[in-house]
Amino acid sequence: MPAPDFGATEQRRRIIDAMIDSCAEKTYAATTITDLVARARISRTTFYKEFDDKRACFDAAIGHCIEQLREVAASAHEPDDAPADAVRKGAVAVIEALAARPGLAQLLTGDAIAVDPKVIECYRKATLPALEGLWSGDDGAPRAHSDPRLAFGKAQVLILNQIAIGKAHRLPDLLPEIVYLAVSPFGGHEAALRQSQLAGECTTSNVAAGER
Amino acid sequence: MSLPVSDSPEDLQRWRLPRGRHGLPRELVERSQRERLLAAVVKVTVAKGYEATTVGDILGEAGVGRESFYELFDDKLHCMLSAHKILVDGLEERVRQTYLGDEPWAERMRRALSVTLEWFAADPDAARFTLVELSTVGPAFRPTFQAEFARAVALLEEGMGEDGPKPQLAQANSLAVGTILARIYEEVLLGRAAELRRLLPDLTYELLVPFVGEARARAAADA
Repeated sequence: MPAPDFGATEQRRRIIDAMIDSCAEKTYAATTITDLVARARISRTTFYKEFDDKRACFDAAIGHCIEQLREVAASAHEPDDAPADAVRKGAVAVIEALAARPGLAQLLTGDAIAVDPKVIECYRKATLPALEGLWSGDDGAPRAHSDPRLAFGKAQVLILNQIAIGKAHRLPDLLPEIVYLAVSPFGGHEAALRQSQLAGECTTSNVAAGER
Repeated sequence: MSLPVSDSPEDLQRWRLPRGRHGLPRELVERSQRERLLAAVVKVTVAKGYEATTVGDILGEAGVGRESFYELFDDKLHCMLSAHKILVDGLEERVRQTYLGDEPWAERMRRALSVTLEWFAADPDAARFTLVELSTVGPAFRPTFQAEFARAVALLEEGMGEDGPKPQLAQANSLAVGTILARIYEEVLLGRAAELRRLLPDLTYELLVPFVGEARARAAADA
């Protein structure tokens, strides 16, 4: 996956990476500026040139991750995909990106909530308009089977648990449930189950291919 | 005089040792001190946040000396997690009594959910302490969260019984626990713990759909 350039300076990006890795290893609460400076191999002065404090750096890291994942989801489907297929592909791509770098998942579902519980609102803002856009027909906004806003919290709890049991690298095990959560608000239960099954089959075949 | 009979939050708040020379056996004094400290850590943490809370704050609120504190707890975290465990154990016990009954599964689920909402609504401080403050304690958060999540999933599984549904999603039980947790967490966070009871119909529906589909979930939620 090519890393999108958001105009961040090289040093700034190194500090953000250091924040993600340090949070993954010891949580945000235990992370110090000294940790970040050592990991990013920069001076304290450079750190404070880029960020006012640890919290400002953390917020930048969250923003960076959300933007990156939104990009991943958006480029995972074709324009002529049916909405339910597009949502499944987006959800699969996001989970695979998180599994490839478990620190991201930890940051977004564990530390972000601890530092600023309202961060889940940011995820919604970044994602809901796109989701609604996919399902909207000529007659305007789609009918919701369940509240799409709630799907984020549920997915977050599932991912957090997967990390807590030490299986962050096996996040794709959760794909059937995550895809179900992503499709059901606008697609309904039956469509969500169908997509969930497709996602499950695709992970099984990936695993099989990897083992050969 | 009444002596403490349980570790329930109500008892923690109610019971106070008389001042001055009371001639009570040492183990009762220690028990009282422990309970006052546990009640105090809940109150202070909710008011100030875990990070800003000091052992001194807890001592002040509880009216217990520093030496006694360190006889009972290793540190602030140990005291915090002890209070957390008592609260969660109490909740689990209540849910267990309701959920593992003889009624049809969907009805037992609805009633267990009702008991859960009731528990969080009855004491917003305890709700906030249990759900929100736990995530701020640092590395100890992950194993604690994981163990409690696993307990909830196991309890759900235990009560499935003969009449329980056979969901197509392999991890439907985890999804159900995630659903309840996420929704209650958000309400508690927004300071709406006291109004949780009114979520019962909506949350029953959300909870049951993955197991029984939309039509049957709607019927159970409206029952």
